[in-house]
Amino acid sequence: MSTDLVADAFMEGEVSAQRRAGQWKALRSLGYAVAGMALLLVAWWIGGLLVENDPALVAFADFAPEPALARLVEMIASGEAWAMTVPSLGRVMEGLALAVAIGVPVGIAIGRVPVMREITNIPFQFLRMISPLSWMPIAVMAFATWDGAIVFLIMIAAVWPVLFSTAAGLKRVDPAWFRVARNLGARPWHMLFTIILPAISQDILTGIRLALGVAWIVLVPAEYLGVTSGLGYAINDARDTLEYDRLAATVVIIGVIGFVLDFACQQAISRLSWHRDD
Amino acid sequence: MRGAHLAVEGITHRYRRAGQPAVCDISFEVNPGEALALVGRSGCGKSTLLHIMAGLVPPTQGTVRIDGLSVVEPSPRWVVMFQQPSLYPWMSVAQNVALGLKFTGRKREIATRVPEMLRLVELSDYADRNVQDLSGGQQQRVALARSLASSPEVLMLDEPFSALDAFTRGTLQRDVRRIAKDLGITLVLVTHDLAEAVVMADRALVLATNPGRISKVVPIDLENRDDLRTPEYAEARARLAAAYETAAGRELESSGTGGPSATPDDDGLNAARPAAR
Repeated sequence: MSTDLVADAFMEGEVSAQRRAGQWKALRSLGYAVAGMALLLVAWWIGGLLVENDPALVAFADFAPEPALARLVEMIASGEAWAMTVPSLGRVMEGLALAVAIGVPVGIAIGRVPVMREITNIPFQFLRMISPLSWMPIAVMAFATWDGAIVFLIMIAAVWPVLFSTAAGLKRVDPAWFRVARNLGARPWHMLFTIILPAISQDILTGIRLALGVAWIVLVPAEYLGVTSGLGYAINDARDTLEYDRLAATVVIIGVIGFVLDFACQQAISRLSWHRDD
Repeated sequence: MRGAHLAVEGITHRYRRAGQPAVCDISFEVNPGEALALVGRSGCGKSTLLHIMAGLVPPTQGTVRIDGLSVVEPSPRWVVMFQQPSLYPWMSVAQNVALGLKFTGRKREIATRVPEMLRLVELSDYADRNVQDLSGGQQQRVALARSLASSPEVLMLDEPFSALDAFTRGTLQRDVRRIAKDLGITLVLVTHDLAEAVVMADRALVLATNPGRISKVVPIDLENRDDLRTPEYAEARARLAAAYETAAGRELESSGTGGPSATPDDDGLNAARPAAR
């Protein structure tokens, strides 16, 4: 009895020690993140000072953190920041949705049918290496609206990570899983929805996360095209009106939203994952 | 649930680009509810034969009939358990067990069948657990429950316990035989472990290598399969060991291992097993 109590107390001590160690670790990584951001801010501030003190560059002094962040607060308060973000997010999501709708089925076909893989390998590697932006003239000709062209450019940039990640994930799936499923009477649609998709869900999500990063990068130059809304347009517009504080603030918005989207993807991956990596 | 009659008729199988057939003109029958072991050295084609019987591999020649019906593809009526449990890690224990019923459109039976199967393999408390939390033996029990859920008439085992430790293996061997006998299922077992064949089977087919042919049929008539220290067990194991050695192309050495008087422990068995595995 008494030894049980001692053991329990010991276990409790063990558990709380583990918890404390976990908290300490989280606190420390937060500290590092804050320090990193502070360093970045300092670099930005030094850059601002250098620009301000150079007679040739003094016109760009509003790039410095103080004016840019002040303008950012203003833009958030007036709703301008939100208004320029919503169209951009819409285009990225549309392009990404198309990339997933094409990339996942094609990736599964390639991963499952060796002949498909052989046939598509070289052409896809070739197409993948073409900068998405070099499709711009073709996209502008092919689509009736500027929006359509931009969504196409995002899609063509985002489809490759999804496609290759899906195919690679499927290739790694334990063949015994298919054999057992077949043995239990699985039909092709069972195989797809009960075995294949859950087995490679993490690979698909990882592909989507990579695709989102690429799409977000392609978005800004794509929005230099014709449209009169979105973050890329806002950058171009600020440059034309010489509002460098607004330009710098827009850059901050692009970075923050990109970071948040990536973080959300990462959370979704770790939440949905069945992999045990401890 | 009742076991099916199984007839293997003139099966020959040649792998592509292989000169000699892996198995050559094999014919035998298994009675409903009987437990049959296919025993032989590695490369004698016993696994190939089992996969052909299950419809996973189409044979070059010959047919397999289960209750008169020619086997051309896998079916939930005859299921195979493999060496690896191959459970799906994104599903709970209960979901894994329910798969066969789900695939064959018998979803209404899941609520009653799955708890029944988990009780059968003594894992009722684990229904909602993730399969990755289970030990190797427990995982193989879940695989057994999954195989049995769709009420198969034949259960085929492809060296299913060879990755487990000796104690777990022994327990599972007895449990699987008991469950198959209780349910009346026909059992076909592939193994290179002679003790496993003696504990689990009513009859053992010993296969010779190159090409795989039936070398000898050894009946195993044991009353008591729980106690491995009986003379009956030792005698059955010795007969099987002798047949095994003959099939492998060597006679038993006169000294010691495998005679009826030898100690029928695992060590004795290992000694009776040829070195080449």
